[in-house]
Amino acid sequence: MILFFQQWYGELLKLFARRRTYIGFGAFVALQILVFLLIKKFGLPTQRLIAGSGENVNYYLSALTLASFVMGVSVFLLGALFLSLVAGDIVAKEGEDGHMRLLLARPVSRFRLLLLKYLTCTGYAVFMIQFLAWTAFVLGLALYGWGGGFFALVPEVSVVAFYDWGPGLQRYALSSLYLGLSMTTISSIAFFLSCFRIKPAAATIGALTYILVDFIMRTSGFMDNYQHLLITKHMASWGRILAETIDWPLIWRGYAVVLAVNISLFTLGYAVFESRDLKS
Amino acid sequence: MALLEVRHLTKRWPTGRLALDDVSFEVKEGEILGLLGHNGAGKSTIMGITLGMVRPDLGEVRIGGRSVQKDRGGALQQIGAIYEAAVFYEYLSGWQNLRVLCSLSGWWDEAEVKRVVQMVNLNRAIAQKTATYSHGMRQRLALAQALLPQPKILLLDEPTDGLDPEGIREFRELILHLRKHQGMTIMLNSHLLAEIEQMCDRCVILKDGKKVFEGPVPSQEKTRRMFQLETSDIGLAREVLARSGATMDKHGVVEVPLNMEPHELVTALVQGRVQVSAWQPHRRTLEELYMGLSSKS
Repeated sequence: MILFFQQWYGELLKLFARRRTYIGFGAFVALQILVFLLIKKFGLPTQRLIAGSGENVNYYLSALTLASFVMGVSVFLLGALFLSLVAGDIVAKEGEDGHMRLLLARPVSRFRLLLLKYLTCTGYAVFMIQFLAWTAFVLGLALYGWGGGFFALVPEVSVVAFYDWGPGLQRYALSSLYLGLSMTTISSIAFFLSCFRIKPAAATIGALTYILVDFIMRTSGFMDNYQHLLITKHMASWGRILAETIDWPLIWRGYAVVLAVNISLFTLGYAVFESRDLKS
Repeated sequence: MALLEVRHLTKRWPTGRLALDDVSFEVKEGEILGLLGHNGAGKSTIMGITLGMVRPDLGEVRIGGRSVQKDRGGALQQIGAIYEAAVFYEYLSGWQNLRVLCSLSGWWDEAEVKRVVQMVNLNRAIAQKTATYSHGMRQRLALAQALLPQPKILLLDEPTDGLDPEGIREFRELILHLRKHQGMTIMLNSHLLAEIEQMCDRCVILKDGKKVFEGPVPSQEKTRRMFQLETSDIGLAREVLARSGATMDKHGVVEVPLNMEPHELVTALVQGRVQVSAWQPHRRTLEELYMGLSSKS
């Protein structure tokens, strides 16, 4: 186990020593600030919904409500792209640049090496979502201060809920964690494609395309009877955490599918990588 | 004792080209073995198979008795390698690169790393990002990573490729130092005849994936005695030499049989009425051997 963590340390060192990693985080913060400024000027789009529900708009227009909205926007606009970029690079780029030959000249199995890389990119997905959630929260605090209510809205799973500050903060924290777990599937798809002998950009574009097509098919109504076959449906299970009564069996079912897909993609990626001859 | 055994390796690429055709040889403890051949002869494929990065269709490589194909992790514990061009993480320093690579071996000993860095003469630049390194510095860093943590065998795949003459000399001295002071066993792959000749004890020559020669590097040969004969009576000289059990090639190089002294052969030539213009010791070069094998095949 110590050996595993020693090896993982090397992978994390590579990831977090890259300037690009921080440029990405910087881009997210910049996007969040932009969204905040727009909201400050034009108001929160969900304000009407709060008013329409007969609730006190001023009470629910809080740091949490704002953070939840901004987190959703930034994950939708940049999250998938950035996670695909990192995971698409993680094997393909190392192969393309020739680093893989240096790594595999070491007494480490291909399985171990891929597992380290997979855990790095999926761990990164969870970490990044947490970063987004809490920077959005801090920015929300800067704008509205501590306290108020939390208006939660996740249309994908038909969740609309109102919370006070304490329970709202708990739900926000828990849902951000589950959103991070959902996003590991995007990393897994990009990772799987990255195991082929392809350009890193192809892995990134391939993963993004899959998610986008899946999302469009789910929302366009074509696949209403086959929603269970679409991964974005299961990925959206995180939203159920925000429902007033949490339907845990439904959430676990969704995450069981997410987990199964992730494991399958890792296994297939490993099988592809294992069968490759690594020679220029 | 053989530390590295290459057994009946056969590999065909998906394109159908035969990369290796039943190649076998051994690398004994403490020796430097050179793998020589033209581009595409199969040298790097053997290195790749030895490191478990390329799968053979048939055969296996054993390191210290452990099969790379069956127990890659165990077999590679004893090996340090520079395989093809060493490409480092440019955004990391030399030290961080070593840290990343050594972490995969589950090993880190700062004192030992510092010693090796000093040995390859990189101590001043080790904290700099490798993006700033010259090609020579990268090769020295590649050697440093191959030497950590203390392998028994070093695999070097065209290690002096792209180096300037001073860099080549420095690298060569470093390798010879390693053999002399640490008893390191080395398998060196190169298409540079001079490099193999100056560094290796034995060599294996490959041509189109086949082994065409295995033996001592000619300049290291102690047992064969060769002389250059200059005469106008080539035909007669050949007859006399044949009667004495000696052979002469088309360039007039005579190999003296083990049961004769060279002066006895000269006496035989003179007595056979061959006009000997010159008779001088000849040391066969690797180039002669290599070109001879190439023309034969």
